Amino acid sequence: MADIGADNPSGHIKPKEPFDFFNDERVRSVFYQVLTACIVGWSAWYLITNTAHNLEVRGMNSGFGFLTSAAGFGTDFKLIEYVPGIGTYGRIFLVGCLNTLLVSALAIIGTTILGFIVGVLRLSNNWLVARLALAYVEIIRNTPLLMQLIFWYFSVFSLLPRVKNSLDISGGAKVMFVNNRGLYTTWPVPGDLFWLTLVAFAIALLGVFALRRWAHKRQDETGQLFPTTLVSIALVVFLPGIVYLSTGSPLGWDVPTLQGFNFAGGANLPPSFLALLIALVIYHAAHLAESVRAGILSVHKGQTEAALALGLRPHRVMVLVIIPQAMRAIVPPLISLWMNVVKNSSLAVAIGYPDLVGLFMQTSLNQAGYAVEIVGMTMAFYMVISLTISGLLNIYNRRVQLAER
Amino acid sequence: MKFVQVDETAIRPAPLSEASVIGWLHKNLFSSWLNALLTIISLYIIYVTVVELWSWGITNAVWTAETRRECFDISIDGACWAGVTQWLDNFFYGRYPREELWRVNLGGLMLILWMAPLWLPRVKGKIFIGLTTVFLYPFLAGYLFAGGDKGIFLQVMVSAAIVCLAANTLHSIIGMLSGRSLPEFLIRTLGKEKASDATQRNILIGLLGIAFAVVFVGQMGTTAVIVPWTKWGGLFLTLVISGIGIASALPIGIILALGRRSKLPVIRVLCITFIELFRSVPLITVLFMATTMLPLFLPEGIVLNKLVQVIIAVCLFSGCYMAETVRAGLQAVPKGQYEAAHTIGLGYFGMMSLIVMPQALKLMIPNIVGSFIGLLKDTTLVSIIGLFDILGMLRAISNDVPWRGLHVEPLLFGASLFFIICFVMSKYSRHLEAKLSAGNNH
Repeated sequence: MADIGADNPSGHIKPKEPFDFFNDERVRSVFYQVLTACIVGWSAWYLITNTAHNLEVRGMNSGFGFLTSAAGFGTDFKLIEYVPGIGTYGRIFLVGCLNTLLVSALAIIGTTILGFIVGVLRLSNNWLVARLALAYVEIIRNTPLLMQLIFWYFSVFSLLPRVKNSLDISGGAKVMFVNNRGLYTTWPVPGDLFWLTLVAFAIALLGVFALRRWAHKRQDETGQLFPTTLVSIALVVFLPGIVYLSTGSPLGWDVPTLQGFNFAGGANLPPSFLALLIALVIYHAAHLAESVRAGILSVHKGQTEAALALGLRPHRVMVLVIIPQAMRAIVPPLISLWMNVVKNSSLAVAIGYPDLVGLFMQTSLNQAGYAVEIVGMTMAFYMVISLTISGLLNIYNRRVQLAER
Repeated sequence: MKFVQVDETAIRPAPLSEASVIGWLHKNLFSSWLNALLTIISLYIIYVTVVELWSWGITNAVWTAETRRECFDISIDGACWAGVTQWLDNFFYGRYPREELWRVNLGGLMLILWMAPLWLPRVKGKIFIGLTTVFLYPFLAGYLFAGGDKGIFLQVMVSAAIVCLAANTLHSIIGMLSGRSLPEFLIRTLGKEKASDATQRNILIGLLGIAFAVVFVGQMGTTAVIVPWTKWGGLFLTLVISGIGIASALPIGIILALGRRSKLPVIRVLCITFIELFRSVPLITVLFMATTMLPLFLPEGIVLNKLVQVIIAVCLFSGCYMAETVRAGLQAVPKGQYEAAHTIGLGYFGMMSLIVMPQALKLMIPNIVGSFIGLLKDTTLVSIIGLFDILGMLRAISNDVPWRGLHVEPLLFGASLFFIICFVMSKYSRHLEAKLSAGNNH
């Protein structure tokens, strides 16, 4: 170690002071790092040997072989085929991942929409509306999410009527029902030539994209405006519509009907799913609203005044001047909020929604053991999701930030 | 040619649109047809909520009953607060033995007594008081809550804590009255203010030793009854877990944040890995990890109870979140401060503890309090893995035979409890922020 201080690595400048082994910064830095590495390495080794010994003493198996053995328990909500007794623990892991992803994705969409609305309402010049939004934000932010979740599940969804007296929330059309077993809704069943409609829809979207670019370019060159919005809507509605009708309306509807004691047909979402979704959206929207409000307030008032002085209408001031600048302040908290939604969806285990933690970390761990492997896999899943979301949004963030100057 | 007005124009009252109630209404509630519509919708929402809540929660509510059925017999569409009032003790203390409740209350009182001087004017040595709260109070409170036989270490710590509490209290009373500190006051009453520093110090150490000896002998004869941790519960348990989490979050967070910003690559990488590992997974998985994997990690023969496992998990988790808050604060301190500290000859630790960290922590006060509030709320997750914290008790009431199915009322009660605690904390942090930043606004 003495060599590092004695031979000047760069070789250009000779140290003026005589070399002092105990007071040399490089020696010390190497010493601290080696010391830390040794401590961490020793702790890791200690933990691993302990774990190996404990596993042996308790006769517990280890390894990932259990993923291919059959799991004996069922789940009432799944997006992919899974049969208890035949499906494997690996399959259970997939079912759990997909359930977590489904509820998180829907909650993220809902949170973002509701959060932006409430954030804008917080700044409304209507005194009463601003106060109402403030009350919502303060009440929701100052109570635990788990308590809210349990409140929604036990106090709201278990008070819903039984299957026989289901509430028809489609207003008498008898296509969507709510009862204490969840939400039963009509589900589309695509027919033979339905893919043509989808293709037409995709073409229409591409057309809209091209149209916008063209209109933008024309405005830059000639200054003439083109009614882009109107034409885009017409394109998206009529092109797929015409294709759909001319192929003979190939879309059936699977309507839930009361048969005996339960509904048959349609799609069913269990109450735990709905409670979780609602609780996540309402809780995180309150947090997002504060970020949105702070973001909008962070745009200097001079920007609004300058834009108005240029002759822009208030609506265009908002869309063209305020929001693009506010987004720069909103996106970083939005990143962590989306990650929080995914992480907090794990509270599902408290109300029995079969998400990854409930299915894999709780039930599978109790049935099969393999604590280290199961905990590791579950944590790895959340880590991958978190890193992906933060990576994607960081890319967006960088683009927004670059627009500065 | 000039026109000069000779007579003073009479003062006119402010226009009606500015001064009157109607003007305010017009400006703030009915400035456009859209605003008018929003106002009417909001008024309707408020009206319906208030009327429904009032009739359900107050006018039709039942306050005294023995069972939920009795509640229904009295009023079918009202709240059954009788269950909540009967279970109040359970919500606050869990299943802690009823005849030992004074110990929990005494522990809480002592904490208030210990921390109160921090808010009093004219009291000196607040940093010392704060440090003793973190390092001595836990031993005293821990023994008070758990009871049982004390080892020699615990005896020493408990006696030290009692002496310290007494000295703290005396010190703050004297400070409030005369503005002096306790040592100054003692020296003065003994008439030794002329003596040399060494003599004064010896006198003080002697007095401290006598006090410690008296307390130590006094406490040897008393033992508190054992209360196993399984009996702990309710708000008490929530506060114990989150209190330990809060107390340890800041030290862990500061160490990790410094490590993350260190120039030494090995330390930096290790800290980043550790922080990101815990921050990217949900707390509930960390809790499951603590309860399933910690027993495997430890050498054979050492068995931690579930409460300790949970507390370890909460401390690590909150420490990692705090690390990011502290790091944000460190980044917000201008680079000139670091350079100036080096220039006047401070080493790394001197620079950090005297110059940089105080500024960083001051900047981050709202965020630090925010993460404390978050931790307090997150502590409710321990009810999922089977501890009976406040949420566990709020849910347990619906499994109690007389109150079977009582969900809404206890949850609303718990929510209001949390709301009050968290709201007061966040309002106080705003106040603190304004007070501390007053120096920057000149």
